[in-house]
Amino acid sequence: MTHPADSSLSPGLSPTLAPALAMRGITKRYPGVVANDQISLDVRPGEIHALLGENGAGKTTLMNVLYGLARPDEGQILLDGQPVRIEDPADAIARGINMVHQHFMLVPVLSVAENILLGEETMANPIFLDRNEAHRRIVELGRRFGFEIDPDVKVGSLSVGWQQRVEILKALYRRARILVLDEPTAVLTPQETEEIFAVLRRLAQDGHSIVFISHKLYEVLEIADRITVIRRGKVVGERIPTETNEDDLAELMVGREVQLTVDRGISHPAGVVLEVDGLRVKDDRGNEVVRGVDLEVRAGEIFGIAGVAGNGQDELVEAIVGLRRPAGGRVSLGGTDVTGRSPRAMNEAGVAYVPADRHRFGLVLAFPLADNLVLTSYYRRPYSRGILRDDAAILRDAEKTIERFDIRTPSATVKAGTLSGGNQQKAIVAREFGREIQLLVLDQPTRGLDVGSIEFIHRQAIDKRNAGTALLLVSAELDEILEMSDRIGVMYRGTIVAVMDGRTADKNEVGLLMATGGAEHGADATEGRTA
Amino acid sequence: MTPPVATPAGRSAGAFARAAWAAIALPFVAIVMALVVGALIILVSELLVTGRPFQPTLPLTAYQALFVGAFGSFDGLVATFVNAAPLVLGGLSVAIGFKAGLFNIGAQGQFLMGALGSVMAGVAVATWPPFLAIPIAVAAGLLAGAIMGFIPGILKALSGAHEVVTTIMLNYIAVGVLAALVSGPLKVPRSPSPVTYDVGNAAYPIILGRDGHLGILVALAGVAIIWWLLYRTTWGFEIRTVGANPEAARYAGMHPRAVIAFTMTLCGMLAGLAGTGVLLGVSHSMTSSFGTTVGFDSIAVALLARSNPVGIIFAAILFGAMRAGAGLMQIQAQIPVELVDVVQATILLFLVASPVLRALFRLRGVQTELGSTDTITRTYGGEAVR
Amino acid sequence: MIRRLQPALVALASLAVVAGCTGGGASPSPSAPAATTSPSTPASVAPTATPAPSSNLKIGVVTDIGTLDDKNFNEYSYKGAVAGAADIGAATPPSIVPKDQSEYATDIQSFVSQGYNIIVTVGFNLAGPTTTAAHDNPNIWFIGVDQSPICVDTTGKLDTTFACKGDAKTLLPKYISLQFAEDQAGYLAGIVAAAESKTGVIGAIGGTTLCQPCNRYINGYIEGAQAQNPSVKVKVAYVTHDFSNAAFNDPVGGKNFAQSFISTNKPDVLFQVAGKTGNGVLDAACAAKIYGIGVDVDQYLSYPNADPCIITSAEKHLQSAVESAIKGIAAGTAVGGDNRFDATNDGIGISPITNVTLASDVQTKINDALAAMKAGTLNTCPNSTCNNVAKSTP
Repeated sequence: MTHPADSSLSPGLSPTLAPALAMRGITKRYPGVVANDQISLDVRPGEIHALLGENGAGKTTLMNVLYGLARPDEGQILLDGQPVRIEDPADAIARGINMVHQHFMLVPVLSVAENILLGEETMANPIFLDRNEAHRRIVELGRRFGFEIDPDVKVGSLSVGWQQRVEILKALYRRARILVLDEPTAVLTPQETEEIFAVLRRLAQDGHSIVFISHKLYEVLEIADRITVIRRGKVVGERIPTETNEDDLAELMVGREVQLTVDRGISHPAGVVLEVDGLRVKDDRGNEVVRGVDLEVRAGEIFGIAGVAGNGQDELVEAIVGLRRPAGGRVSLGGTDVTGRSPRAMNEAGVAYVPADRHRFGLVLAFPLADNLVLTSYYRRPYSRGILRDDAAILRDAEKTIERFDIRTPSATVKAGTLSGGNQQKAIVAREFGREIQLLVLDQPTRGLDVGSIEFIHRQAIDKRNAGTALLLVSAELDEILEMSDRIGVMYRGTIVAVMDGRTADKNEVGLLMATGGAEHGADATEGRTA
Repeated sequence: MTPPVATPAGRSAGAFARAAWAAIALPFVAIVMALVVGALIILVSELLVTGRPFQPTLPLTAYQALFVGAFGSFDGLVATFVNAAPLVLGGLSVAIGFKAGLFNIGAQGQFLMGALGSVMAGVAVATWPPFLAIPIAVAAGLLAGAIMGFIPGILKALSGAHEVVTTIMLNYIAVGVLAALVSGPLKVPRSPSPVTYDVGNAAYPIILGRDGHLGILVALAGVAIIWWLLYRTTWGFEIRTVGANPEAARYAGMHPRAVIAFTMTLCGMLAGLAGTGVLLGVSHSMTSSFGTTVGFDSIAVALLARSNPVGIIFAAILFGAMRAGAGLMQIQAQIPVELVDVVQATILLFLVASPVLRALFRLRGVQTELGSTDTITRTYGGEAVR
Repeated sequence: MIRRLQPALVALASLAVVAGCTGGGASPSPSAPAATTSPSTPASVAPTATPAPSSNLKIGVVTDIGTLDDKNFNEYSYKGAVAGAADIGAATPPSIVPKDQSEYATDIQSFVSQGYNIIVTVGFNLAGPTTTAAHDNPNIWFIGVDQSPICVDTTGKLDTTFACKGDAKTLLPKYISLQFAEDQAGYLAGIVAAAESKTGVIGAIGGTTLCQPCNRYINGYIEGAQAQNPSVKVKVAYVTHDFSNAAFNDPVGGKNFAQSFISTNKPDVLFQVAGKTGNGVLDAACAAKIYGIGVDVDQYLSYPNADPCIITSAEKHLQSAVESAIKGIAAGTAVGGDNRFDATNDGIGISPITNVTLASDVQTKINDALAAMKAGTLNTCPNSTCNNVAKSTP
């Protein structure tokens, strides 16, 4: 069973070798909450170890403990078998632990090299900083792991996928041995995901240990050597990808059997609810990004808009719900022209809207959950009389809603910002779904959510459809569109280039339309709206 | 971190104490640190001065005199309250701006115009019965302040002109207008120096001791009303939403531009009422050097209180006490009044540099539980309205 | 004495971010920085160094807004109080510097409740609070600097309508207001200016039109100059029309102002009546190679920067006035009401001539004018018109 040291090149095959990282019995309590309860985790040299769990399961807390951002109440951390005490992130970095955050910590106006060198010890004495040497090392590191990068290019001009590579390079430049990636694919296209996976595999082969945090089951199965699943602060299982499958992992993660695909049943479309005619909309910079969209959504159907992000979907949706004034065209609701009406007027006309960016539009993170649940109805009875708020009514209904939509929260009065992403989205869904509506607009409703939450939201949406609501669903996840939609419109450079039946639509065909807009648009498609 | 496990809705006493500490820890430490710095400055200054014996206890003498002057006698206590009253209203003015994501540097100008409005009205109705004269003078102060607040508010709402810039400019305009009127049309013709007539019956009645005027009650009522407005009404909810997340406010069907204009007007009314209080309660007439620091100290009060209406009472009493005690400090310890400025400014510096303070005193728990600072300068540089 | 801490503290205070915004000095005086012109105990003598008091009178000073070392009203009034206390063997007086106009009354009250016997209040802004305090505390002596006329109604209360029906002298017998005949000092300076001018155009720059002492100086200056040379042209300008910093506390602004004044009006003698701002005026005069005249104290001594061009200064003896008022109280000779300091009691004067040599007839003229002022035969302020804002001669 003993292996020579270089056996670390064969990931996952050296069970007796001292783990590069071992976390033993980590317990972290916050007031009223045990975020990590006796969590143990071994990561071997050269291993890609996936940490799988729903949002709020305790993954981030565990990594904060590892990175010196939180101090564990119990338990210890061992590096190469030696117990260590990690004081702060600088200490963690010095010990070879690096974290690539979901939101990149890069300075857009600085070059790749400058970003990588930022915070490096050598920067403290710039006179002796050998820039050429640094550039050479960056280029060489990139090559070693399969990509060519120009150290002088500004980070702001790079795509998200390349920015992520810069983050990884930054870690490698600091001679990281243990790399923690927090939801690295959340912001990537499927293609970019494949590319980054190739980089990660190279890194592992090179002997680096990688902790891969995710809640996307198929990704975890594809990339990981081993998978640790945590739920509600506890380790609930460890798996090897070859010996498990998505259903098994989902059940471990959620704690019950999960239906990964929702049975949408049969739709019974009735009269037209939403009609959009030749709608033209400008973005914040004044570019026309919606260039004459026509579509109609009937009661009792889900109309899905597929498209690569940035093809005008957000602006289209904002124009429909009243947040953005159209530059031209017409929006009618149930036969009435509602073009350019205010968000409140649309809301009162029975339009519900789950925005793409829940932090920007959907919630006020600094406010209590209860206030967020009445964000669009605070001014109406029973939540207020005249200008007087009725806090009792707000709280009472909030508690009902929390129970009905299973929002995991200590109380209705905690700040929305303290909830996990999934529960934040549930709160928005609860607010928007929980009333009489005729049109429901869902913009990226499940982005960044875990399977349990996705399942929940999908089921709620189907229920609404079955109850006769018209649904407009916008998503960059093609699978979601295919799974949910009764009809699918493909949006490309500000227009709907094709509408097809959701049941018969072919994934490849839709994908091709998304990428190219159809035959007449040629091959420069993936640039999105750069024109 | 999301709590996966729900806790019982009720909070234990320990949790309450923790929450209370979390709320006051930072200001408290800042005040203590500022007093320490003030003491060091006294000692160092002593060392720099030759020809007199070194008194290591001088800082204590100074602080003791400061404390006794402010709280040691009934008159001193009343003086503290009288000083605090305009700071409470001015602090509310700045704080409600913060709540809406606005930085109201214009409290000073609004203060001056409020006072000017009430002296003009007060002089006109000086011989009317007080129950008529006082409300008229107060209303005039509110109106003048409201106009001074409405101008930057509407400018921001319509054109996006940043309120920091416009209110600073308006402060200069207020000083100029005041000087021009007091030395011109409002001047008592026979007076050798620029001073207006007395407001006579429009003066606030004395309700406490020798100098404690009605303005103290007005300030407390202001706190109650603003607290009620902010937390019990839909208007307050809109103000807070616009401040915390203007995009979400638009999404929620609110009108951020209208809210901004309304809030700035309210800021102006509050600061104007502060000026009214000083004029009707203390000076009763106006010279061209009227009111030099209240508007600026108000910013400090609001910051120290973290924009909490109730906290503002305590912050204002602290600052008011330092002014009230400064007299005795100068008499007994012969420390120049500038020490008070140093201490006040140091408190603010420590608050601004609060990350340093947190690290220094390991106020880790505090860090995670203080979520309210994020609304303070939200719109700084960025554009809140579209 | 900790007075010396003050510069250090002031510097620190001005570093302070927000508290530094505490408004400009609203000092009512046109006085200029200066060394002391009369012998006095320096303000920096520690209380412990004072000889055993032979008087147990407690003296306190409430200044106007600003600082104690403002080289201005606050400073010289305080120095006068210190000197007076030393003369009568009382303890060195403490001082209170208010931050805010609304503090005047409480600051005076601080001394009242501490049992002080003599309270000096500085500047006309404190006239109202001092009058009220004098009415409420008939056993305490108040010395008000530049607070004339004391204006009370027939019951001795402050009369805010300035009808002044009551006789302050009898109703408030322990309230002494010190006023100065700046017009007389200005008159003497005007003689010198007109005599030394070769072009026949002289100038004067005041701090603010709101400052009546400034007006008296300049109107007296015009009178004196015309007495010396009836065809002389006197150009007059004021830096501001309010009590902002620009009036008395802005030497850089004063220099700029004076430069454009000189280039427009081409005077060859320039009289500054603008405190520290006026120091910049003197700088500009020296730079333009014309003569300068200082104000309040002998600026040849107090402002050496301007030594190359100062020919004299119009003085008022603020410090000695306060000192003598205190001595008068101790000696039992003090009289309440408006106390005028003029040529008759050496309350005003001009400094020794420097840089030029006066023709003997000019010196004679000055001596005659001074004698006439003392005799009461020369009125430099007919019908009190010298209080009005001064205007350039046609």
